[in-house]
Amino acid sequence: MRELAERLVAWGKADGADEIEVSVVEGREFSVDVRRGRIENLVEAGSRVLGLRVIKDKRTAVAGSSDLEPGTLRRLVRNAVRRAELAEPDEFAGLAPLTPSTVDAAALRLHDPEVPALDPKTMIGLALETERIALADRRITNSHGASFSSDDAAVFLANSNGFSGGFSGTYCGLGVGLQAGGTNDRVEDSWYSSKRFFRELASPEDVAKKAVERTVRQLRPRKVRTKNVPVVFDPTMTSWVMGFLFSCVAGTSVYQKASFLSEKLGERIGNPLVHVVDDALIPGELGSRPFDSDGVPCRRTVVVDKGVLRNFLCNVYAARKLRLQTTGNADGGGVSPHNFSLAPGKSTPEEIVRSVKEGLLLTRTLGHGLNSVTGDISRGAFGLWIENGEIAYPVSEITISGNLGALLQGIEMVGNDLEFLSPVAGPTIKVAGMTVAGE
Amino acid sequence: MLPYIDHFGLSAEDLRTTLVFALSKGGDFAEVFLEYRAYDYILMEDDIIKETAESIGIGMGIRVLAGDQTGFGYTNDLSLEKVQRAALTAAAIAKGKYRGAAFRLRERTLRKDVARVIRPAHASGIAKKIALVREAYGAARYFDPRIAKVKSSLQDSIQYVTIANSEGLLVRDVRPMVRLTCVVIAEKDGRREFGYWGGGGRVGLEYFRDVLTPGKIGAEAAAEAVLLLDAVDAPAGEMPIVLSPGHSGVLIHEAVGHLLEADFNRKKTSVFWNKMGKKVGTDQVTIYDDPTIPASRGSYNVDDEGTAPRRTLLIEKGVVAGLLQDKLSARLMKRPLTGHGRRQDYSHWPVPRMANTYIDRGEYDPAEILASVKKGFYVDSLQGGQVEDSGKFTFSVSLGHLIEDGKLTAPVRQATLIGTNIDILKRLVCVGSDLAFGLQTGTCSKEGQDVPVNDGCPTIKISRMTVGGRR
Repeated sequence: MRELAERLVAWGKADGADEIEVSVVEGREFSVDVRRGRIENLVEAGSRVLGLRVIKDKRTAVAGSSDLEPGTLRRLVRNAVRRAELAEPDEFAGLAPLTPSTVDAAALRLHDPEVPALDPKTMIGLALETERIALADRRITNSHGASFSSDDAAVFLANSNGFSGGFSGTYCGLGVGLQAGGTNDRVEDSWYSSKRFFRELASPEDVAKKAVERTVRQLRPRKVRTKNVPVVFDPTMTSWVMGFLFSCVAGTSVYQKASFLSEKLGERIGNPLVHVVDDALIPGELGSRPFDSDGVPCRRTVVVDKGVLRNFLCNVYAARKLRLQTTGNADGGGVSPHNFSLAPGKSTPEEIVRSVKEGLLLTRTLGHGLNSVTGDISRGAFGLWIENGEIAYPVSEITISGNLGALLQGIEMVGNDLEFLSPVAGPTIKVAGMTVAGE
Repeated sequence: MLPYIDHFGLSAEDLRTTLVFALSKGGDFAEVFLEYRAYDYILMEDDIIKETAESIGIGMGIRVLAGDQTGFGYTNDLSLEKVQRAALTAAAIAKGKYRGAAFRLRERTLRKDVARVIRPAHASGIAKKIALVREAYGAARYFDPRIAKVKSSLQDSIQYVTIANSEGLLVRDVRPMVRLTCVVIAEKDGRREFGYWGGGGRVGLEYFRDVLTPGKIGAEAAAEAVLLLDAVDAPAGEMPIVLSPGHSGVLIHEAVGHLLEADFNRKKTSVFWNKMGKKVGTDQVTIYDDPTIPASRGSYNVDDEGTAPRRTLLIEKGVVAGLLQDKLSARLMKRPLTGHGRRQDYSHWPVPRMANTYIDRGEYDPAEILASVKKGFYVDSLQGGQVEDSGKFTFSVSLGHLIEDGKLTAPVRQATLIGTNIDILKRLVCVGSDLAFGLQTGTCSKEGQDVPVNDGCPTIKISRMTVGGRR
């Protein structure tokens, strides 16, 4: 991979590019879906893909290919250099200067040698076992199936400023989707675990029990009248809000004025309980990385400090546009989160529910309904109605709406239950008041 | 038909022996899907042509069916050795010995083309494409002084597929596609709003001269953003809804289309699985999916399993009449194929998918429908939606209007509509005569696979639906 990437960098320079960067990704995947005790799908495959970017006279062209024939690649590089002349000069274009890395990739624990060595029988067995445990519960009436998947991928990046480096990472995941109720009053939900290290993956029992609990608690839902009430977000829902916040603090959205937070750097955007961090250096987590796709070392960045917006997450390009420093979040042409989370607080999830006189415990949403330009949130919702600090009954066919700015100001309690199921996460939170629309 | 260019270097005999390898463990069906796709992309932002891109995807997916089980492998190294290794990987789903009879591949030649292309956009000069992107950008940028930001882009692709299977099928298809879109942000007194418009389909660049000009795309996107600057928050609660003709078809796509995909019915996870032949909606509701509409983004000559598609009746006057089938579900359910087996690319196996889904024209005059609503909500444009098998679905309205005394009044921003499909079909009380199709820029996601689709719909009225607004 190193040889291929460096050869393309040399071709680009020879063709007249001022700057060129080349990335190569090589991966192997295995996945199995089982349903009602039988294998439904079994996949095993390998793939390679290459991407490059050339800059000539501040003009940019990019190219990508999964055809790695030398003839094809030679032509792609030549075309890109030629095509760069058709773009217009962009004073902000250009590679990152070479910065010596201080990140110890080995200490990040990104690769578990056990994952590529897993026996297909073991992986199939885990999926079957998970579904079996879930279906043994008599309240479960149908299954979307259980899946196990694993992935082992290596990335290599080289550029004409002298950067040349790579790393590999593993991933494995186990999940199950369930339905309960009859044909006309069906409810559904799912649960999963995903980790870089096989040994850290949740057991079939844990995954199945959580999926069953999340599904059956929705049975016999009621509709509620439209009202403004406190809303408790369970961790999956806080993660969803954090994903939306990420898209609003992404430097690429900010310079495009596609974020309602564009002009808010240094200002208070949430109450003092809101502390948001992006940390690529947590060992073993899904969003950890030694360097980004610009070849810049990754780091820990405080995004919101006690309610004050401190940093946007940038690649080199967005940072130049905004006159900021890159935070090492480059991913292809955009930016990606590296363990982006709302820092946990002190309350237990039970304490949070107990504090609500009447309100909604939000467990699932459906649809799109996020507008980063305005911060508006409007989604179909499912959850549990809370009365006098107790879960009273499930509710469905409602929507929640509000605005991310108001939501961050309205966070009254933060739970202690933060766990990374993806590179974006958050604990249970309670938000003062949102519109819940029903009948 | 556009000329077919072979990018794979594998002979019919290579494909046949690969299929035999795939069946070596006793599978009852094997299929090879070879794909070469080339894309071009041009982006204009910050008043400059910022970037151009070219990308190439090549690979082969091989699938083996053994009863209701699927073995699948893929590779982007098309050497015969790697291709046959992938075949053996997929073969492992079955546990036995080769039991297929000898078969020969017979090439089926396609005669009619759904594409309306003089010259594929991919083969047109890049300077011409840059000019179109600039034109859309300029029309939006100078539409109004309140326009703060514009992003305009053109993406075109050409896909060459070769499909061969152990039933002896060999078919090749060429699929051109183009899409020009414009995203606009307008700003007034610190408030910002977003507008979007676009067009394209299985057409050539002449479409942007003859059917929909870049100037119109830019102006429509800008007009939507500017209008939203004065929009009010959406109302909250249940009320009558009127959907504008055209891309409100997303409602039909979410509320009905997905749940009539055969796999969800075979697995009995869809609310429709036991409702075939049963009345689920008003007499007004007749729904089709038609992959053969000329020039449309969702159309194709053969599906990704090599089946010639046909217009499929899904709901007839409120009665469930059909399902969208792929080979696996059709075999297991013993139903005829409809040509709706689609996949994102070679690295995914086909599943039943929609193509161009629409609710057929009705008898009502659109003006009469609007006039019948005293107080309600009118949907102008939609961002997209989502459905789960239980029939609960939502879709997001990016621009709407209040209806007061049968007339459109204040523009309304961001709202979500939520409902259960069976309820909505029963409340679909008026269907207009003005059937129209959406923007030709839509993409549908299912099980991690994205495919191009389009939707259509006349003006329709739903007697009651929950609007998730803030007032």
